[in-house]
Amino acid sequence: MHAPMNDSGHQDVVSAFAERYHALAGFAHVVQNPAEAGAKAGQILREAGATLAAMAGLPEDLVDPIVQGLAGAGIDCDSGPFPSVELPGRIDRASAGITGADFAIAQSGTLVEVATNDAVRLVSSLPRTHIGIVRARDIVPRFDDAAPRLREIFNAHGGGCTVSFISGPSRTGDIELKLTLGVHGPEIAHAIVIADGER
Amino acid sequence: MASQRNKALYAKIADALENPDRSRALNRCMQRGRDNRSRAISALPDGLEFRNRVKAIKDRCTEQQESLLEKFVVTARERGAKVFLARDGAAAIDYVLELARARNAKSVAKSKSLTTEEIDINDPLLDAGLRVVETDLGELILQLAHERPYHLVFPSVHKMAADVAEIFAKETGQTIPPDIPSIMKVVRAYLRPIFLNADIGMTGANIGVAESGTIVIETNEGNGRLVSSIGDCHVCVMGVEKIVDTFEDALELVLAHPVSASGQLPTTYVTWMGGRSPLGAGEGKAPRESHIIILDNGRAAMRDDPGMREALNCIRCGACMNICPTYSVVGGHTFGYIYPGPIGIPWTAGVHGLEKAGDFAALCISCGLCKEICPAKIDMPMMIAEVKHRDACVHGHSRSEQTMMAADDFARLGSALAPFANRTLKNPLARKAMASILGVDERRNLPPFAKESFTRWFSRRTSRNEGAAHRVAFFVDVFANYNRPDLGVAVVDRLEALGCEVVLPEQKSSGYPYVAYGDLDRAREVAAYNVARFAPCAEQGCDIVAIEPTAAYCLRETYPKLLHHSRKSLLVSDHSYELFAYLNLREGGAAASDDRLRGKRFGFHVSCHQRPLGSGRDAQEWLRRRGADVTLIETGTCCGMGGTFGLKAGPLGYDLSKAAGESLCAMFLEAGVDAIVTESSVCAIQLREGTGLPVFHPLELVAGPPFE
Ligand code: SF4
Ligand code: SF4
Repeated sequence: MHAPMNDSGHQDVVSAFAERYHALAGFAHVVQNPAEAGAKAGQILREAGATLAAMAGLPEDLVDPIVQGLAGAGIDCDSGPFPSVELPGRIDRASAGITGADFAIAQSGTLVEVATNDAVRLVSSLPRTHIGIVRARDIVPRFDDAAPRLREIFNAHGGGCTVSFISGPSRTGDIELKLTLGVHGPEIAHAIVIADGER
Repeated sequence: MASQRNKALYAKIADALENPDRSRALNRCMQRGRDNRSRAISALPDGLEFRNRVKAIKDRCTEQQESLLEKFVVTARERGAKVFLARDGAAAIDYVLELARARNAKSVAKSKSLTTEEIDINDPLLDAGLRVVETDLGELILQLAHERPYHLVFPSVHKMAADVAEIFAKETGQTIPPDIPSIMKVVRAYLRPIFLNADIGMTGANIGVAESGTIVIETNEGNGRLVSSIGDCHVCVMGVEKIVDTFEDALELVLAHPVSASGQLPTTYVTWMGGRSPLGAGEGKAPRESHIIILDNGRAAMRDDPGMREALNCIRCGACMNICPTYSVVGGHTFGYIYPGPIGIPWTAGVHGLEKAGDFAALCISCGLCKEICPAKIDMPMMIAEVKHRDACVHGHSRSEQTMMAADDFARLGSALAPFANRTLKNPLARKAMASILGVDERRNLPPFAKESFTRWFSRRTSRNEGAAHRVAFFVDVFANYNRPDLGVAVVDRLEALGCEVVLPEQKSSGYPYVAYGDLDRAREVAAYNVARFAPCAEQGCDIVAIEPTAAYCLRETYPKLLHHSRKSLLVSDHSYELFAYLNLREGGAAASDDRLRGKRFGFHVSCHQRPLGSGRDAQEWLRRRGADVTLIETGTCCGMGGTFGLKAGPLGYDLSKAAGESLCAMFLEAGVDAIVTESSVCAIQLREGTGLPVFHPLELVAGPPFE
C-alpha cells in the first residue's frame, strides 16, 4: 500500500504521524529536546493521576532527562533493572509505562518497539497509561518502509527478539461493536516526538 | 422430501427468522464492517489494487509452500524456537498435553486463535486438569456462554451488553450494570490475574515469515502481547498456509487483513515474534520457551485439490461474511461449522470433511458477492459449487433444486402450453400442488409465459442490416425468450436502429442454476455448448450481447472458469457485453430525451452478478441520457432472491430469501421512488413482492406503453 509521500521535508512526516496518531485516539506531542520530553512526560502523568511509572527500553541518553522530568512532577520512576523473579508483578504495580520506540511509521500512526527482553513489552502493555518516545528522525513515511527496518532488526538480533507495532491505545468492539478503549492494554496512549538532531 | 439434515437446517433457519433482533444486530455489524472498509479503501492511494498484490503473494506462497515451510522451520529453529509439524489436530493436542505435563503447568491463557478452535484443543486441556481461559473479550464471552463464534472477526456480535453483563455476573458473582464501561472494569480485573499467572500462553499466528522465522500476531485488545510475553512457555498454533516468504509479503497482509475486516490500517498491535526473549534480568522460575506447532490437518490435501486449493489463500479477514446475504439472516451458528460464513464452506470441507460442509452449503445462494469483496480474490462461489456438487454425488439434489435446474425445460413447456400454464400459475390449488410436487413456493407470483417465444419470433422474421459493420450475436436466456419476448424484440429493434445486424446463434439458457445448486457436470455441458456456438461468431468479429445480467456474468466469468480457461471460452468472454454497455458503446453518447420518463423518480437496483461487470452503471447512464431521474439504491448486498433460490418453497428458499431482502426493500420504500428499475428478471420478482412498487426493465420504460 502506497501513501502519497510529500517530499517537502521531514516536518511533514512528523505532522503526518501526529495526525494519524490522534485519529487513532492517541495523543502525540512534539518537543525540542530530551529535557522537554521529560517535562512533558511528567505533565502527562500528573494529569493522568499516575503515581508510579515503569520505564524500559529507552536509549541511554534519554533515561536521565525523563527520570528528572518525572521527579519534577512528583512521580516515582522504576527504571529497572527488573529481576525475573519480581516479574510480572513489579511492572503491574505501575500506573504508567514509558518505553522507547526504535522507529515510527507516519502513514499508520505506529510506534515500533524492539524488545530483546520481554520486560519492555510488559511496560508498554500492563499499565493503564503508556508513553512511547521516538526521535523525529526515526519516523519513516510509509508502511512499507518498515520492511527493510524489520529485516535489519531481526538480522541484528539472531536469538529472541520481538518487534511490536503499536498504533494507539488498546481497543475492542466486541460488545455491540462499540469502540471501547483499554480492555487489557493501556487505555491512554501518548507519543512524544523529540525533534532534536533532525536531518 | 427433506432429508434429516435438511430438517435440521430448516429448524435453524426457522429459529433465526423467529429472532429478528439477532439478525438485525448482525446486520448492523456487517453493514458497519462494509462501510468502514469502503471508507478506508477510498483513502488508499491505489484503492483496490492491494487485492491483486495479496492474491499474487498468496498464490506464490501456496505454490512454494513446501520450500517455504522448510525455510521457516530452519529460521525459526535458529532463533531457538521449537517447531513441531502436526499432521492433524490430535497430534497437535498430544504435543501440548505432553508439554503441559513436562512443565507441570496449571494454567493456559489463550489469545484468539481460530486454528485452535479448528482442532478443538480446549476440551482435552480442561480434561487434563488445566485451567484454560480465552482472553480475547469476544472469545471469552463465548467460552463462558459455551458457544461457537458467530462471526470470524466479531465472534460474539450477537450478544448485547445486557447479555454480557449477565454472563460475567454469573462467572464472578458480582452485580454488574449492563453498560459497557462497567463491564470493562470487571473484565479487566477478572483477566488480569489470569494473564499474570499463566504458565502457558497460547496464541495463533496471522502470518509466519520464512525469511526470519518470525510469527506475526495481530490484535486490537493487546491480549496477544500479554499472553505471549508473561507465561514462561509460549505455544503458537499456526496453519501451514500462513507462511509467507518475506517481510514485504507480510506487511502487505498486515494491512490488507484489517482494512478488509474493519477498515483499520493496521490493527492496534502487530507483534513480530522471533524466538523467545528473557523476561527481566537473571534466572526466572522456569526456562522460557517458544513452541511453534505448524498444523496440516487437511491443508496438504486442499493444496493438491484444484477445486479447493484457492481456499488456502484466505487471510481470515471476515469480509466475505460481512456481505453474504443469507449469512446475514442466520449467522455463523447456522452458516458454519467451526469456520463460519462463505469461506467456512470450503474450509469445513477441507478440514472437517465434506459431510459437515454439506450440512450448510445449501445456504449459499450463489450471489457471488463474497468473491467481489475478498482481499485475496478467492472465487468462493465456484468452490462452494464444487462442495455442493460433491455433496450431491453422495446425497442427491432436493426436489426443488431439481426443478430450478430444469427451469429452462419448464419454461419451454410453459410457453408451449401458455394459456393453460398461465391459468395454472394463477390457480391457488395448482400452486399448492406446484409447491409440493415441484418445490416452487406457492406465495411467489411467477411471470406468465408468452404464447410465442422470442426464438420462434426471430426465426420467422427477415433480418435487417445484413453485412453491417457491427454484427451482434444475441444471448437471450430464459426470461426474455419464454416470458417476455417483447423485451427480446426491443433489444433487436434497438440494435438494428443503431445499424447493427443481429444474429441468434443456437443456444441454451445460461445454465447458472447448475452452478448455484452444484451440478457441475451439467454446468460444464451447457457452458461448452454455448461457447461452441458463440465462439465462431466471435472469431468472425461478432460482438456478443446478453440481456440478463446473470447470462452476461456466465459468458464473461463463469464459462471460462468452468472450461478451464479454454481458448474459445476466453474468446467468447472477451467479446461479451452486457446489453447497456453495448448500447452505450454504439450510441456514443447520443440520445434524445424521452417524454415518458419525465416527472418520475426511479430507484435502480443492481443485480449481484453485475458487480464485477460494472455494477449497472451502464443502464443507469443510458436512462439518465434519456432524461430519467434515476437513483442507485443499495445496501451493498443482495436483494435476497439469489437467482432462483427465492422461488424455492419453504425455509431454504422463499422464507430466507424474503428475510435477506427485507432491508433493501425498506430502503426503496423509504426513498419514496415511483418505480424500481432493474435488469434482472428474478430480482424484479423479489422487489415487486417486497415493496409493492412497480418494477421495470430499463427497456420497458422507453419501449413499452408509457408508465403511469
Ligand atoms: S456467493 Fe453469495 S450467498 Fe454464496 S457464500 Fe458468497 S456471498 Fe454468500
Ligand atoms: S475468504 Fe477472503 S474475504 Fe473471506 S475471510 Fe478469507 S480472505 Fe477474508
